[in-house]
Amino acid sequence: MGALLWRVVLGALLVCGIGLLPWLSRTDPALTVLKARSADRDPSPEVLADIRDRLGLDDGPARLLGRWLAGLPRGDAGRSWISGADVLPGVLDALGVSLLLTAAALAVAVVVAAGVCARTLFLGARRRLQGRPAGGSGSAVLAALPEFLLASVLATVVGVQWGWLPALGWYGPQWTVLPALALGLPAGAVLGRLLDDRLPSAFAEPWASAAAARGLPGRSIARQALRRCVPGLLPNVGLFAVGLTGGSVAVEQIFDIPGLGRTALQAAIAQDLPVLQAGALVLVALAAVTTGVARLAARLLVGPALRDGALHTLDRPAPAARRAPPLVHGVLLLGVVGLGLPRDPLALDTGDRLRSPSAAHPFGTDALGRDVLARVAHGAVDTLLLAFTVSALALTAGVLLGLLPRLSGPLVDTVNAVPPVLAALLVAAVRGNGPTTPALAVAVVAWAPLAAHTSALLRQEGATVHLAATRALGAGRWYLLRSRLLPAVLPPVVRHALLRLPGIALALASLGFLGLGAQPPSPEWGLLLAENQPYAERAPWAVLAPAAVVALLGALAVTAPGLLRPPGRTPRSRGSVRPRRRGAAEQPTAEQLAARAESAGPGRPRGGSVPPPRAGSVSPPRRA
Amino acid sequence: MHVPLGPRSPHSLRSPRGLRRPRRLPRSRLLALFCLTPLLAGCFASSGSGGGHGQGRDAGGSGSRLRVALAFPPAENLSPYGADATILSRLGVTEGLTALDGNGSAVPALAASWRREDDRTWLFTLREAVFHDGTDVTPAAVAASLARAGEARPAPAALAGVAFTAKAAGGAAVRVTTAAPDPVLPLRLSSPSLAVLSPKAYGKGKKDAVDPVGTATGPFEITRVTGASAAALDRFDGYWGGRAQSSGVDVRFVADGAARANALRTGQVDLAEAIPVAQAATLDPGTRRETATTRTTSLHLNARSGVFKDPALRAAARAAVDASVLAEGVYEGHADAGAGIYGPAVTWAQGKRVRPAGRAKAVAPGGASLTLATYDNRPELPEVAQVLKQQLEKAGFKVTLEVREYSRLESDALAGRFDAFVGARNSLLDTGDPVSVLAGDFTCEGGYNLARLCDPDVDRAVGKAQAAADADERQDAAMAAEAVILGTDAVVPLVHQRIITGVAARVGGVTPDPYERTLVGAGTRR
Repeated sequence: MGALLWRVVLGALLVCGIGLLPWLSRTDPALTVLKARSADRDPSPEVLADIRDRLGLDDGPARLLGRWLAGLPRGDAGRSWISGADVLPGVLDALGVSLLLTAAALAVAVVVAAGVCARTLFLGARRRLQGRPAGGSGSAVLAALPEFLLASVLATVVGVQWGWLPALGWYGPQWTVLPALALGLPAGAVLGRLLDDRLPSAFAEPWASAAAARGLPGRSIARQALRRCVPGLLPNVGLFAVGLTGGSVAVEQIFDIPGLGRTALQAAIAQDLPVLQAGALVLVALAAVTTGVARLAARLLVGPALRDGALHTLDRPAPAARRAPPLVHGVLLLGVVGLGLPRDPLALDTGDRLRSPSAAHPFGTDALGRDVLARVAHGAVDTLLLAFTVSALALTAGVLLGLLPRLSGPLVDTVNAVPPVLAALLVAAVRGNGPTTPALAVAVVAWAPLAAHTSALLRQEGATVHLAATRALGAGRWYLLRSRLLPAVLPPVVRHALLRLPGIALALASLGFLGLGAQPPSPEWGLLLAENQPYAERAPWAVLAPAAVVALLGALAVTAPGLLRPPGRTPRSRGSVRPRRRGAAEQPTAEQLAARAESAGPGRPRGGSVPPPRAGSVSPPRRA
Repeated sequence: MHVPLGPRSPHSLRSPRGLRRPRRLPRSRLLALFCLTPLLAGCFASSGSGGGHGQGRDAGGSGSRLRVALAFPPAENLSPYGADATILSRLGVTEGLTALDGNGSAVPALAASWRREDDRTWLFTLREAVFHDGTDVTPAAVAASLARAGEARPAPAALAGVAFTAKAAGGAAVRVTTAAPDPVLPLRLSSPSLAVLSPKAYGKGKKDAVDPVGTATGPFEITRVTGASAAALDRFDGYWGGRAQSSGVDVRFVADGAARANALRTGQVDLAEAIPVAQAATLDPGTRRETATTRTTSLHLNARSGVFKDPALRAAARAAVDASVLAEGVYEGHADAGAGIYGPAVTWAQGKRVRPAGRAKAVAPGGASLTLATYDNRPELPEVAQVLKQQLEKAGFKVTLEVREYSRLESDALAGRFDAFVGARNSLLDTGDPVSVLAGDFTCEGGYNLARLCDPDVDRAVGKAQAAADADERQDAAMAAEAVILGTDAVVPLVHQRIITGVAARVGGVTPDPYERTLVGAGTRR
C-alpha cells in the first residue's frame, strides 16, 4: 500500500515536473511549438502571441496542469500543442508499436542471453565447471555495441545490399526482425553476462552435487540452476523492457517505426507538454505493471525459499579469471591511444575526406578529412574520465538506494520509465546549462539498473541460511550489512556497472543536441560515433574504429578482475560460503555456525532458528 | 511476458523421468497465440495502400500508383496555414489562385488572369474548375477561402502584416483589396498557405481546423491520412488541367534521410525527396535529380556586440572564409559556392548583381576569440562550422563552436549571445518576393536579424526596394540593397544548396522546383 502511494506520488511529481518544464528552463514553449510546426517561420512577436493565446499559455503552469489533470478521469489527455489532435489515441498507437518492438527485442535478447550462458550451462550440467575460467569477452563486446550502429549496419547490409528483409517501415512480422535484432543483441548480451556471472555459484550449491549424485540428468540440473539465478535478473529484464519501449529513438528513426521513443523525443524538443505528460504517465504505468509481473515471476520461481530464508548465497570466489584477455585488451587499447596521441585530431582537410585506411591514416579519415586514429586516441582520456566519473556516481547512488528497496523500487521504475531526453531536459531545467549538467543528466538515469540489481541480489542474499544463522547469533543489522550483505552483493553490481560503462559514454554524447555535453570538434567518442554515423556505409572505418575501441573498453572492463587477482591463486573448493577474516574476530561463533549450516544444505538444517524449507523451495530437486 | 510454468508442475518436480520428458506446448497455449494475432496486427502501422509492400489499388483507369517518400511528416494535421501547406502543394493536392514559374514570377493557376485596378485593388478572373467534392470553384467560395486564411492565427507566413478583403465581383471575378498598397500580391497568392478550398473544408466555428481532405482542386485528392506516417491520394478525374497520368499516390513520411535513400534503393518507393548529401553517393547517379534552391547558407556576424562590432574584423573574417572549400568539401559538389544573398536558383539575380563597394579594410584579428553557433537539424551545418573554425583560426581568430538543436538555439542567436551564426535561409521566403527577406533579416526593425545589423544605409536601400512597384524595378532595387548589405560584411554567403531528389529510373514527369513547392504533378508517371 505504502509502495503504491509512493509510486503515485512519484508519478504525480513527474507529471508536475513536466508541466513546469518550460517555466523552469525559461524556454518559451510558444517558440518551440512554432519551430516544431514550421522551422522556417520567423518568430515574430505577433506569431508567438497568437500561439500563446491559442494554447492558453498565459494562464501559467498551474492552471494548465489542473486543466489537463481534470480531463484525465474522462479519458481526455488533452490535445497536442503542435498538431491540435487528441493526445491519447496517438500515444496509445505508438505504445502498441513500441511494445511489440520491445517484445520482439526481448525475444532476441533471450536467445542471445542463452547463447552467452550456453557454455556455462553445458559445463555446469556435466559438473565440469570447477576451475574453469569465466567465459570470453565476446559478450562484453556485443554489450558495448551501440544500438544505432547495429541498426545502421543491419539496415544497409541485410536490408539494402542483400535485400533479405525490409529495411524500413513497420507493416508486418518480417519488418520486426531487423529492429528487434538491433535492440535485442546488446540487451541480450548484458542480461546474458549478468546471468553467466551467477550461474557457476548455483552449480556449486550442495543440491546440485546431490542431484548429480542421485543420477539426475545434467539437463534438469542446468534448468534448476537457471531457475535459481533468473529471479535476481528479472528486475533488470523489466527495466530493459520499459527502457526499450520509451527510449529506442535511434532504432525507430533508422527503421522508420512510429513508436513511442520518437513521439517522446519530438514532444520533448517541441515542449509539447500534453503529449509528454501522457507519454510519461503511460510509461510509468507500464513500469509499475512490469515490476509487478517481474515480482510475480520471481515469486513463482523461488517464492517459498525467499519467504522461508532457505537460499544459499550465490556469492563465491569467482573462478580464476584469465590474465591474458585483459592484458591483451589493455595493451591494444593503450597501443591505439599511444599511436594516436602524437597525431593532430583537429587538422581537417576536406580534400582528404572519407579516405580508407592507409599507411598515412591507419584508421582512415572522417567526413572532414581528419585522422580517425588521432581522434580516437585524443578522445580516450576525456571520454574515459567522464564515463568513469558518471559510472562511479551511478554505482554509489545505485548501491545506496538499492539498500532501501521499499524507497528505491518505485523510484527506479519511475526514473527508468522516463525517456532519457526528457530526463536530461528536466535536469537541465533544474540545474541550468552548467559544466556538470551532462554528467548529472546521465547519472540520474544510470543508477536505476544498478539499484534494481542491488535490491534483487539483496533480497536473495537476505534469504540465505547463513544470514539467518548469523542473525540468530545476535549479529546486528550493521554487522550483517557490512560484513555479510555488501561483500556478497557489491562484486556483481560493480561488474554490472563496468559492463554499462561504454553505454554511458555513448549516452553522454547523445545529449549534445540539447547543447549539453561535448561540442564539435571535440573528439569525444560518443560524438565521433554520432558524427560519422551518416557515413557508415561509405566510410565504415570511421564508425567502426570508435565502436571497436568502445567494445574493447567493454571487454577490458569485464575481464579486468583477472588483472587484479594475484597470480597463481586457484579457485577455492566449491563451498558456497567464503570464510572472511574480517569480522571473524567479532563474531566467531556466528561465522562457524553459519558455515556449518550452509554446508549442510537446506535439506537438513542444524541451527534451530533456521526454518525448514518447504516443498518446492528453490532448487534442490528431490523425490517425493 | 511468458512465465515458464513447467518446472512447477508436480510431475517435473517430483520425478526425474518427468524432468526428462520433452517440453510440451499445450494446445490451449497455441490457440491463445492465434487469438493474439489480430491484437498484434493493431501494433503495426496500417499498411494498405500506404505500405511499401501493398500494390495499391488502381483507381479504375490507366496508370499505376506512384509511391513517394516525403521528409517532413504533417505537423498540424495537414492544415494549410502552416508548413504542411507545402506537403499539399508538393503532392499536387492544393492550388492557389497563382503559381510561381522558374523565374520567380506569378503565373496563372486557378486564376486565369488578373489585373491591377488601382494601388490597393486587384481583380482576379477565375478559370472553370471543380473542387474534389464536386462543387464548382465560384468567386464566393474563393473569397471565403481567402478570408479564412486571413483570419487564421497565427497568420500564414505569406500574409504576415498584410490586411486584405476578398469579395466576389460578379461573373468569374474576385476582387482583392489590401489595406496598404501591395505590389507583390499575385506573388503572395501563390503561397501554398493560400490554397483555395471548398466551403466544406471549413468547420462552423472560427477555431475549427481546416480539412483539405476531399476539398481542394489539384490533380490528386486525399483519400486517407494515417496519422503522421502515411497518406493515400487518388487521381481527381475532374481536374481542370486534364486527368493525371498516375492513378494515385501513396505517400510515406520518412523523417530519416538515410531511411529515405534506403527506401528508394530497395524499390519500396519511386520518389524520395531531400536526400542528404552524405547519402547522395549511395544512390545510382541516374536516380539523382539536383535542383538549385533559393536556400542560402550564410555566416552571420554579430554587428552589434562582441568582436564583430568592428567592421575591420568582420572584413577579416570575410576574407578568411573560402566558400568553394565548403561547396566541394562538405557538400561534395551538391551546392554552389556563395555568390550573394540570392543564389543561382534566383535566375534573374545573376545578371543584375551589383559589386559591394566601400567595404572596410581588414585588420589582423590578433587572436580575438569568438563563439560560432549553428544547428544540427541540417546535418551538413556542423561540418560547415568546423571547416569555418579552421579557416578563421588560420586567419588568427580563436573559435569556440556551439551546436544545438534549432529550437534551442534560435532565441539565443536572435538575442545576440553568439558572435557568429551559420544558418540556412530561404531567400525568397513564402511569397517569392525578394525584398521581404532583406527587410526581415537585415534592417533595424527586422524580426529575424541574426547579424543584428542596424545600418542607416541598409535600411534606406531596403526601403527603396520595398517601395518599388514594378517587378523589374523591384529586382534591381533588391540587388542594389544586397550590395549594400554585403558591403557591411555582416553576412557572408557560404553556399547555395541544391536539393537532391531520388527518382527511380522508370519515373518521369517529376517537377522539383527551386521553391520546394512542387514535386508530383498531373504529368508524373511511372
